[in-house]
Amino acid sequence: MVEVEALTKAYPDLESGQFLALDNVDFHVGPGEIFGLLGPNGAGKTTALRILSTVLQPTSGFARVNGFDVTTHPDEVRYSIGFVSNNTAIYDRMTAWEMVEYFGKLHGIPEERLNQRMEEIFKQLQMEEIRNIAGGRMSTGMKQKVSIARAIVHDPPVLVFDEASLGLDVLVARALLKIIESFREQGKCIIFSTHIMREVEKLCDRVGILYRGRMLATGSLPELAETYKNNDFEELFFDLLNQSDQQRRHETALAASSPSLGSEARSQR
Amino acid sequence: MNWKHVQLIYKREMIDQLRDRRTIFTITILPLLLYPLLGMLMMQVAQFHRESSVKVAVLGYQNWPEELPLLDESANIALNSVSDETRRLLKFELQSMPSHKTDMMAYARELMASNTVDAVLVVKPELAAIATGKVDNDRFTETGMPKTDAAKIDASDTQLTSPAKDVSSTTLEASSGEGLILISNLARDQSTMAQGRLSRLIDRWWDNWRTKKMVKAGLAVSLSEPIQLKVVDTSVSSVRQAVRWSKVLPFVMLVWALTGAFYPAVDLCAGEKERGTLETLLSSPARRREIVWGKLLTINTFSIGSALLNLMSMQFTAGLVVRNLVAGGTGDIAQALGPMPFHSLGWLLLLLLPMSAFFSALALAVAALAKSTKEGQYYLMPLLLVTLPLVGLPMIPSMELNLGTCLIPVSGAVFLVRALIEGRYQEAIVHLPIVILVTVFCCWMAIRWAVRQFESESVMFSEGGRWDLRTWLRHLWRDRQDTARPSIALMAGVMILVIKFFAQFMISPSISIVTSMLLVQLGMILLPCVVMAFLLTRNPRRALRIHRVQINHIFAAVLIGFALHPSYVVLGDAITSVYPIAPETLQMLSKFESNLFDKPLWECLVLLAILPAVCEELAYRGFIFGGLLRQQGLLRAIIVSALLFGFTHAVLQQSITASVMGLILGFIAWRTGGVICTIIVHGINNSLSLTMGWCGRQKLEVPDGLSWIFSSSGDSWSYQPTWHFTSIVIAIAMMLILFQRSRRTERNVLAEMA
Repeated sequence: MVEVEALTKAYPDLESGQFLALDNVDFHVGPGEIFGLLGPNGAGKTTALRILSTVLQPTSGFARVNGFDVTTHPDEVRYSIGFVSNNTAIYDRMTAWEMVEYFGKLHGIPEERLNQRMEEIFKQLQMEEIRNIAGGRMSTGMKQKVSIARAIVHDPPVLVFDEASLGLDVLVARALLKIIESFREQGKCIIFSTHIMREVEKLCDRVGILYRGRMLATGSLPELAETYKNNDFEELFFDLLNQSDQQRRHETALAASSPSLGSEARSQR
Repeated sequence: MNWKHVQLIYKREMIDQLRDRRTIFTITILPLLLYPLLGMLMMQVAQFHRESSVKVAVLGYQNWPEELPLLDESANIALNSVSDETRRLLKFELQSMPSHKTDMMAYARELMASNTVDAVLVVKPELAAIATGKVDNDRFTETGMPKTDAAKIDASDTQLTSPAKDVSSTTLEASSGEGLILISNLARDQSTMAQGRLSRLIDRWWDNWRTKKMVKAGLAVSLSEPIQLKVVDTSVSSVRQAVRWSKVLPFVMLVWALTGAFYPAVDLCAGEKERGTLETLLSSPARRREIVWGKLLTINTFSIGSALLNLMSMQFTAGLVVRNLVAGGTGDIAQALGPMPFHSLGWLLLLLLPMSAFFSALALAVAALAKSTKEGQYYLMPLLLVTLPLVGLPMIPSMELNLGTCLIPVSGAVFLVRALIEGRYQEAIVHLPIVILVTVFCCWMAIRWAVRQFESESVMFSEGGRWDLRTWLRHLWRDRQDTARPSIALMAGVMILVIKFFAQFMISPSISIVTSMLLVQLGMILLPCVVMAFLLTRNPRRALRIHRVQINHIFAAVLIGFALHPSYVVLGDAITSVYPIAPETLQMLSKFESNLFDKPLWECLVLLAILPAVCEELAYRGFIFGGLLRQQGLLRAIIVSALLFGFTHAVLQQSITASVMGLILGFIAWRTGGVICTIIVHGINNSLSLTMGWCGRQKLEVPDGLSWIFSSSGDSWSYQPTWHFTSIVIAIAMMLILFQRSRRTERNVLAEMA
C-alpha cells in the first residue's frame, strides 16, 4: 500500500548550506497494518508524511501510495489517501457537517452517496451533537474528530495520522486510538506518526524510528527487541538515538580531517 | 483543470468570508457608513464657513476719505450696495493708537498677535491723497503700468513680520497706492476668511468711489473698464461635471478595489496557513491551480463588491451634499463639480472588471508570502506604494490618453475610461486594443505569479525563523558557486541603479567627459559586479561569462552588429515620436554632443562605444544574466537583465530602446554562451551611432563607396531605405544561424542553468 525507498528531502539552509530533513529513508506499510513513525521533534516525520500526501516533493528517492508514485501521479495519490495533521486544521466559520461535506464533494462523491456516508461517519465517530457547531466553537477533541471525519469521508485505502493525539486530553486520545484500531479492522493501511512511545506500543504493528532524517530501525516490537537485545522499548529507543549521535560525531570528526567530506557532513545535522 | 473543484472552493471561500465580521465590516459596512459621515462633516464645515463671522480691527480710520466712508460711527458698513449677509459676516472694530505708541504697523501686529481680532486693517495717512488722484506719477511707466506690484510690497512687508508669530501681511492697494495695509495670519482659517471678505468689500468701495469721481468729472463710467473679455464656454455643464468627476472616481474606485482584494487575500492565504487549513486543502484532490482560481474568484468578487459599494455610496452621498451646498448658496466648487454623472458608473464598471482581477491576483501572490495574518498586513503598504502611482498618474493635469500613456499598466486603462466618461469615444476606440492587450498581459502575469507562489514549497511551507547578518554572510562565502546566485545577480543590478542615482547628485557637472565616463562605466557598473564575482563566486571568470568563443559566432556577431543598427535607429526614432524628449533634456543632450564631437573620432569611440560595450556587457550579460540563469529560467533571465540594462540609461526614451536591445543581446548571450559576442554587437552598435553623429556634425560627405548604405543631409547621416531592408534580412539570417549552430554552447548553458 505504501512503499518508500531511499526517500530524501533537502532544504537550503543558511547555517549549513543544506539541511537534510530526510536522508535515504526506506519503509513500507501493508493493508490492515498500522505503521508507527516514531521520533523526537524535528526527526523528519512530518516531512515524510507531507511527501506521502503530495504536499511536498521529494529531492530524490521514491514514494508510492496505493501503487501510485507521489511525483508522477499526485492526483491519484490524493484520492487514495486521508491525511490528519497535528494542528486539527478546521475552518473556524464552518460547521462540522459543512466541512466534511466540502471535502467529500472535492473527492467527487455523488451527493446521495455522500450524505449516506456522512451519516455513517458522524454515527461512528459520535459526532451527531456537533453537527451544526462552527469550528471556532469546538473543543480540541471535537476538532480532531471532524478532522478524522474529513480525512475518511472518501473511504481512502491509506490513512496518515501526523501526531494526531498531540494536545488531546487522555479520554479523547484514548478514543482516537480506538478509532484508529477500528480502521485497521477495516483493512486500511495506516501510518501513525508520534513521539509518544506508549501509543506505539499499544497501537502499532510495526515501527520505524526516525531521527534527524535517518531511519534508525524498522520492524515489529518483538523483532526490534530481538535485534537490539532489549525488551524495554523506551530504553531501546534512547539507545538507538545515542548511537546515532555518536556516529554523527564520528562522521563530523572525519569530515574535519577530510575537506571533501565536509560539506556532506555539514548538511546532516 | 477541474472547474467543479474551482466552483466548490469559490463557494466555500465566499461563505467563509461572508461569515467573517471583520471582512464584512471593512469591505461592505465601512464604505456604506464612510461617505455619509464624510458628507455630514463636509456640510458642517461648509455651514461653519458660511455662518462664521470675522472681526477686523481698523487702525487709523480717521485717514479714510470723508467723501465716501466705509464705516459709520458704530463701525457698521456704510456702503448701501452691500448685502445684509456681508454685514453680518464682517464685523469691524475701530481702534485708535494709544498715546504712548507711534508706530502704527507695530501696534497693528500687536493687535493681531493678541488673537482678539482676525485681521487688522491699517489706514495710512496717504490714503486720502491716493484716492483723490494725487498719486506720485513717478510710480507709473509711460505705458501706464505700475512700477511696483503688490507682491513686492507684500514681500517687503513680510520682512517686518515676526517669524515666531508667523503673521503674513498683505497690502491692499486702493488704485495703485499703498494707503491700505491688511495684517492677517494665513495660518488661521478665520483670518484667511477675513482677508477674502475684506478684499471684496474694499473692491466694492473702490468701484463706488471711482464711479462717483467719474460722474463728477463728467466722464463715462465705462471708461474705467473700456474692454471686457466675454468668455463663451461651448461645453455642456454635464460634460464639464463628468470631466471633473472622471479624475476623482477611477482613483477612489481602484484604491477600494485594491483594498477590497487585499484583506480577503490575506485571510484566505496567510490566515489559512496560520490555521493549518491550507495544508489540508493542498492534500485534497484539488490541484494548486484550481485552489488559486477558487481563491482568486473569491477575492475578485470582494474587490468588485467593495469598489462598487463605495462608488454607489459615494454617488448617493455626493449627490445629496452637492445639492445641499448649491441650495445653501455655498461652494463654488460644489456647483462646478455638480452631482456625480450616473452614466460614468457603466464605464467605471468596465474598468473595474480587469483591474480588480489584476489587483486580486497581485494581492493573492503577495499574501502567499506571509506566514500569518499579522505578517500579511505588513505587505499592504508596499503593494499600495507600487500601485498607487499607477492609479494616481492620470490625475496629473495635462496627462492625456495617447499611444505612450495607454501602454502604462493600470494608468492606460484609467486614461481610457476617463476618455469614455468625458465622451471622447473616437479617441478611446483607437486606443482600446492596446489597453486591452496591456491589461490582459498584466492580469495573466499576476495570475501566473499567484499560481507559482502556490506551487513553491519555500513560499507555502517556509518556517521563517531568525535571520542574522553574520550567518547570512558566512553562508554567502561558504556556499558560493561558480556563478552568482540569482539573488546576488539581482542585487548587483539594483545596486548599480542606486549608485547611479546618488552619483548624479554628487558628481560635479563640470568634470570632463573622460572622467565622467570612466567613473560611470568602470566605477559604477563594472566594479560592483567584478567585486561580487571575486567575493561571492568560486570562479569569477565563469561568473562574468568570459568564455572561449567559436570563430563563426564572432563572424555572426560582427554582421549582426552592423545589420541591427538601422533597426535600432528606426526604433529610437519611433519611440521619441511617441514619447517626445523634453526640450530641457534635448538641450542637455545637444550640449553633451557638441562637447563630445569636438574630440577626435577615435577618442569618442573608445569612450562611448568600446568602454560601455565592455563594462555593460560584463555586468549585464555576464554577471547578472549568468546569475539569473540559475534557477530563474532563461526567459526571465533575458527579460530581467534587459530591463535592468535599460533602467541604467538616464533618459526614458533611451531606456526603452536599450531594453529592447538588451533582449536581443540576452538572446545572443544565451546562444553563444558568453559575453564576447555581445560585446562585439554592442560595440558596433554604439560605434555606428557615434560615427554617424560625428561625421554629420563635421559636415562630412558620405564616401562614394558607402553611398548605397548612408546618405547625408545637413548635419546628420542616415541610412538608405534599401539598406534598412537588407540589414533586417541579414540580421534575421544571422540570428537563425546563431540559433542553429550552437548546440554545443546550448549544452554548456543548460549545465550552467542546472
